[in-house]
Amino acid sequence: MIVVGGLKFGAIYSLAALGIVVIYKATRIVNFAHGAFVLAGAYATYGIVEGLNIGYWPAYVLVPIAAGLLAAAVEFGILRPIRQADMFALITSTIFIGIGLSEVYRLVQNTEMLGVRNPLPGPPIFIGDVIITKEQIWVLVGAIISALIGVAIFGYAPIGRGLRAMAANARGAALCGYSNDGMNAMAWFLGGALAGLAGIFAAPSKGISPELAISMITAGFVAAVIGGIDSLRGALFGGLILGVAETFAAAYVSSAMKNAVSFLLLFVVLLWRSEGLFPEAKIRDV
Amino acid sequence: MSSGRLRAVMGAIAPSAVLLAIAILGLLFDTYWQYVFAISITAAVIGSALAMLVGYARCITIATGAMLAVGAYGATIPIVHGSMPFLAAVAAATILGACAGWVLAVPGVRFRSHNLAMITLVFQAVVIIVLRESKTLTGGAEGMHVPPPVILGISFEKDADFLLLSAALYALAVVPMTVLLAGAFGKNLRALASNENAARAFGIDVRNHLIAAFTFSSALIAFAGAVSAPRFRIIDPDSYGIFTSIFTLAYPIIGGMGSIWGGLAGGGILRLIPELLRPLADYIELIFCVLVVATLTFFPDGLASAFWRGTTRRHRVKPGASFTARAIELAPMAELFAATQALGAAAPGRRGGDPILAVERASKSYGALRAVDDVSLTVQPCSLHGLMGPNGAGKTTLFNIVSGFVAADSGNVRMSGTLLDRIPLEARIGLGMTRTFQHAAVFERLSCLDNVIIGLGRNGIAQGIVRSVGQAFANADSRSERRAAQAALAAVGLGVRKDELAGALPLGDQRRLEIARAIVSRPRIILLDEPVSGVSVEEARRLRELLLAINGQLGIAMVVIEHNIGFLSSLCQRISVMSQGRILAEDDAASIIADPRVRHVYFGEQEAAA
Repeated sequence: MIVVGGLKFGAIYSLAALGIVVIYKATRIVNFAHGAFVLAGAYATYGIVEGLNIGYWPAYVLVPIAAGLLAAAVEFGILRPIRQADMFALITSTIFIGIGLSEVYRLVQNTEMLGVRNPLPGPPIFIGDVIITKEQIWVLVGAIISALIGVAIFGYAPIGRGLRAMAANARGAALCGYSNDGMNAMAWFLGGALAGLAGIFAAPSKGISPELAISMITAGFVAAVIGGIDSLRGALFGGLILGVAETFAAAYVSSAMKNAVSFLLLFVVLLWRSEGLFPEAKIRDV
Repeated sequence: MSSGRLRAVMGAIAPSAVLLAIAILGLLFDTYWQYVFAISITAAVIGSALAMLVGYARCITIATGAMLAVGAYGATIPIVHGSMPFLAAVAAATILGACAGWVLAVPGVRFRSHNLAMITLVFQAVVIIVLRESKTLTGGAEGMHVPPPVILGISFEKDADFLLLSAALYALAVVPMTVLLAGAFGKNLRALASNENAARAFGIDVRNHLIAAFTFSSALIAFAGAVSAPRFRIIDPDSYGIFTSIFTLAYPIIGGMGSIWGGLAGGGILRLIPELLRPLADYIELIFCVLVVATLTFFPDGLASAFWRGTTRRHRVKPGASFTARAIELAPMAELFAATQALGAAAPGRRGGDPILAVERASKSYGALRAVDDVSLTVQPCSLHGLMGPNGAGKTTLFNIVSGFVAADSGNVRMSGTLLDRIPLEARIGLGMTRTFQHAAVFERLSCLDNVIIGLGRNGIAQGIVRSVGQAFANADSRSERRAAQAALAAVGLGVRKDELAGALPLGDQRRLEIARAIVSRPRIILLDEPVSGVSVEEARRLRELLLAINGQLGIAMVVIEHNIGFLSSLCQRISVMSQGRILAEDDAASIIADPRVRHVYFGEQEAAA
């Protein structure tokens, strides 16, 4: 039961981590604004499900597109002019963009926390002693399928080839006819769409508040680092590992341990195996 | 006191004087504004501490809130629970902050950029969790009451008294920070932030410098936390949370990255904004975020630097005045020789004796690629040795093995008979070995003169701190350093450009600057990696004359990597040719050009047959 609950959150973390990794792989920027994109996705879900009251299905289509557009707009409008700057400037920019977006949310929606209804209400399923809610299964399955679609797009679709080409050599990709501006925006769109999906799945159980942005960027980053920040497969497993570890810590130790465990995992992985658990084969720069 | 010395001392105490002046100005206002001024100068001090870590070393830290908490609780707990006197408690909290910075940095500085930022975030979160959970000591989430400071029986309860007290304490504490930042230590930090490899080649131990930066900066932040705590009357963990950390990060970024003034002004002014813009209180955080991103976009060096540049620009020589257009005046090497005597430089090298450099059967593989394959190479003292070969032949890898950037898989390197294997990269300049880089690796944000002073290689942590203090008094040693660096710049023809930023020089001049930096420590051997790549034919000819003069008059041996065969054969007596990781041939310049094997590698089959 704990495992299933943990896997549910883990799958959400995987989605968030995957977005971070997609953006990092293609543009070499670690996006600290990612939590805010998840928050935006969750808020859009609230708007569609509770505001317009048209059910969940439109949200699964519209939210990723909206979050993706937001991310692409951030890249195109704010980061593009400073792409030539050093890592320091880019990373601090994303930190403050993230905080700024959360602030916009806080100003627009000045309440403590918004709730969204459960997508799959109904009696839980009993398997022996284990109680599993339909929502848990839905989130777990849905998030993993979304994540796999994301991986498939990056790995196999024509658009993914351009992104991977740019990741390998931006100038080379430009010479082969891939517009770097376009590809950057596309990478951020894809990453943002994944963040939006994470927002849809997170909204019912985690609630919507600026806290969501902080908790999702931390969890997503930790999951991405556990997996080796360069690896899509790693991000998937990293998220699941983190989700299960957090839930166990909360259940058997204390709720304060829940936050600590993600930091502990991050610390251990960075110090003991800084390339992550699932490193991509890499050629060293000579 | 001479005028130079007076100016140096004034520079060291100027920030403190400004803090005091602001506090005295605050006495003219009512108690509310005295309170505001007190928190504003606290923010200015935090900004000056972050100028070191964020502005100079360019580390992203999200642990500032935690460090403030360490200081605030570190002072308040002994005052409340142990009735320790205020000043002793502040001192203890400062030391605690230094320790906390060290503990954070030792694992942290193994990483850069995003990973380092996350490690500091972990630290931040852990400190707050600990404070919240240790309820008996800290009062937990409800916070703890802080009594007003009492010194020698006098209680500083009124706002005006507190403002003056904190300003006086801050003024004292900011002096060492000013001295370190303006002096050698700060310049070393900026150098390593601009180019780690070049910094290491000139003896800057990056890891230790970053640890020291975290330690000093955290000590000052904890000090500010300790001094400011009584003003809040009650301190609780949430006021030192992650948002505090993030918004303090904005101080040096918006204020300016290049000097202590940026951090001071950034902190002092940004902390005033919420008070000045009361009607917009709800939008303050958003305004901050927009300001930071806009500053990074339009004024990457910060507003203070932009302002500074605006006022000083007209004094500069235009960068466009490329030196091919002007005659280059090379000062005689004898002046450099004389100027470096005061710093204890050795007599010029002599011919004969052990080979200055002996590479013995060195190999290095990357995966299946044998980049350097069983290479042996001997260079005689005072000689000019060329190294050529097609791209990917392993020339630069060989340089990296010799200079210590890369450890060889097997084989060893000796310098004048001394085995180098166990001598770290940073120590090799002390043995008399310097190098230049394939892509000109000057410290772009430092002046030419400061670039060359770093080339003196006196860059240990303790040495850097002692030199910073010496520079604050413009002592004899620091004047000798400047003279030596000026002489080296004059010797390569950059004497008139000493105050310009290295990054603003045209490529040919950057190459010259690299040479000045490499010779100022009067090494016995220099490794030059493609010194004329990308410069004009005319400039290549001039650089050759310069290198010949350095070799002839200072007796410095050189190993030169170059693709330009004409350049190499007119410079070097002996030339080695590498191909696919091996030494293909070694001979005097004329014979090497005629060697059919060499012609084969360079020109292909038919040419060799002909």
